This record gives sequence, structure tokens and C-alpha cells, in this order.
Amino acid sequence: MPPPSGPGQKFSLPGVKHLIAVASGKGGVGKSTVAANLAVALQMAGQRVGLMDADIYGPSVPLMFGLGQVDQTRTPFPIEKFGVKLMSMGFLVDPRQAVIWRGPKVAQAVGSFLAQIPWGDLDFLIIDLPPGTGDAQLTLSQQAPLTGAIIVTTPGEVSLIDARKGVKMFEEVRVPVLGVIENMSHFTSADGQKHAIFGTGGGAKLAAEAGVPFLGELPIDPRVATAGDAGEPVVRKHPESPVSAAYVELARTVVAEMTTRPQANALPTVEL
Amino acid sequence: MPADVLPLSIKRDGDAFRIEWSDGVAASVPFLTLRNNCPCATCNDERTKPADPFRVLSAREVSAGLPVPVAMKAVGHYAYQITWNDGHDAGIFTLDALRRLGQPATPPRT
Repeated sequence: MPPPSGPGQKFSLPGVKHLIAVASGKGGVGKSTVAANLAVALQMAGQRVGLMDADIYGPSVPLMFGLGQVDQTRTPFPIEKFGVKLMSMGFLVDPRQAVIWRGPKVAQAVGSFLAQIPWGDLDFLIIDLPPGTGDAQLTLSQQAPLTGAIIVTTPGEVSLIDARKGVKMFEEVRVPVLGVIENMSHFTSADGQKHAIFGTGGGAKLAAEAGVPFLGELPIDPRVATAGDAGEPVVRKHPESPVSAAYVELARTVVAEMTTRPQANALPTVEL
Repeated sequence: MPADVLPLSIKRDGDAFRIEWSDGVAASVPFLTLRNNCPCATCNDERTKPADPFRVLSAREVSAGLPVPVAMKAVGHYAYQITWNDGHDAGIFTLDALRRLGQPATPPRT
């Protein structure tokens, strides 16, 4: 069943079953990496998947999928790579150029990515959000029929401070938080010992505080970064690695969650 | 208000909205109360200033008379945006605000 679209929602996306935002609050925790690998893992599990890069100022989807700026007059969007439909500001602007925009234009761009891109029939549209609780987040919360949000954090307290704000924002706009995923949890050295480089337990702590599921830990693996930079997400390039297994597990949890979760009811139409 | 409490119906009832909530509460929210508590930035700012006794109403405000919503649309899963008869439409009323501004409703007229 497609998500219900309320009367005030500008974008109904009738062909998209589940619209999931990947958010963090803090920058640099690996939102885009998580979003890209989750999208590819879902695709590998047989789902029809799209990935929308809502980070207008710092798009990273093109690099992670081995793409770059394209000729917009000739390229039909979304662009498909590894079976995932993609849209990003990075397809439209030269990577050496800065997008210097005030908020309303960001909101407009995010809105047009949702409304004007023919996403077609998808089981999942994953949205890679920018850090913070600003224009892109608000536009999506107000105008898109979001199914839920996944919060990414690193284990340390500095990341938790901002992640809490992200959770709070979704609570306020009544978008269900599907859970917290802890990225860069630990590094396993050659001798098999686990090193907690960025601290321990942050993800589980935040999930407990917010009363939402803890979706697991993603270990540090240098191959995650090299695969991302090389344009093929690690879950596809090194499916045998422990971090890929963690992504496959995350995808499985997300799919399972969708079957059990009741669809959020649209607000009633007002009778004037 | 718990996050799972939602409005089941919102209907005009005279100069107020009658809201039935999913936890069984029925409340009446007068239009004037809503307008006076408009959460938009401009109205918020106006409320912090002392009343200006020399404020001149615009022709539109005068002709509009008492505030009456001409449209009220859902915003995402969490709020409603009201367009008033004087053209003002910047306020987004969260469900919490609608609940807070409600007064015990009279039994529905049959």
C-alpha cells in the first residue's frame, strides 16, 4: 500500500511505498555512506530502490556511485547505477563550484527533487539528509509523506548531542524514528582485537533514551572509505566484509520493520 | 499530549472548530482564540510589543470582520496551516497547539 498523502502534502509520490530519511544532526558521522550502502543492500535484497541526495550544499551521492556532473539537457533523471535510481545536486553542478544559497532555495530544490523527478514504482526511496535541523529537513517533514527516519550517530558524546536534536525534530513533526544505527563503532585490528576509537555505547544509549530500536553497529573498515571514493559502495564491492554483513542485516531489519509497522494515518480533512 | 493521539475529525461549529481526538476528548477551539495565538513569526513578534493605540487597520482587515478560516490544510503528520479571511496564512498550528487551545466542547448538536 502506498503511504497515504494528506491533503496538505504537496508531493504524494504514489509509486513509492516507503520514504525513509537517513539523518544525524551532526555532520561527518557517515550519513551518506550509510544511506548509499543501505540503498544498495536493499537493492541486492531484491527491493526496487531510489536514493535522493537532499544535501544541496555538499552532495556526495555522485562520487559514491562513480558519477559526476552530467549534461542536464540530455540526461533523463533519475540516473540509475547498480540498480538504484539516483538524484543529487551533484549531477547538476560542477563539483568545484560551491552552491551558495539561502534556505528557501534549498527547500525549493529538495521539493523539486521529490516532485519533478519521475521516481516511478519503488519499494524504498532513501533520502540522504544534510546535517542539522533546517530547511531540507523541514521541507521533507511538511511536504513529503515520510514513512520514517533512521538516525546515524558515532559512539561518542559529541555526536550524541546533535543526534538527540535530530530525534527531537522528528518527534516534533511526528515522523516515526525507525531506529538508531551506530557508525564507526569499533576497529578490529589484525590480531583480532577490537578498538573503540570513537568511544563506546553511544548508539545504544541514544536509542534507549529515545525509546526507539537500536539497529546495530557498523564497524570501522578502511575499505568503506576507499570503496566510497572509488564509486562503488562497500556492500557491493566487498560483500564478504563484516561491515557489509552489518549493512545487509540493517536492510533486512528495515524491510521487516516495514511489514510490521502500521502506516501512519494521514490527518483528517477539515470540514469548514 | 502523547504522540499517538491524533485528531479524528475537525469540523466547523459556529465560530469554532469542534475537534474529536483519538483518546476520546472532544474540544471546541474558537476561531478568535486561534487567530490570537497565531504561531507565525510576524504575529509572535506583534504579541511581544505593547498594543499600538494608533494602529490603522487595512481595508482588507476591516472588511474581513471577525476572523474566519477560509482553508485549513494538513502539514505533514504534525500540523495544520490556516488561511484566514483577511488573507493571513503564515501560521502553522501544531497538533499540540490545537489541543492546548481547545476548551471542553458542548455535546454535539444532533
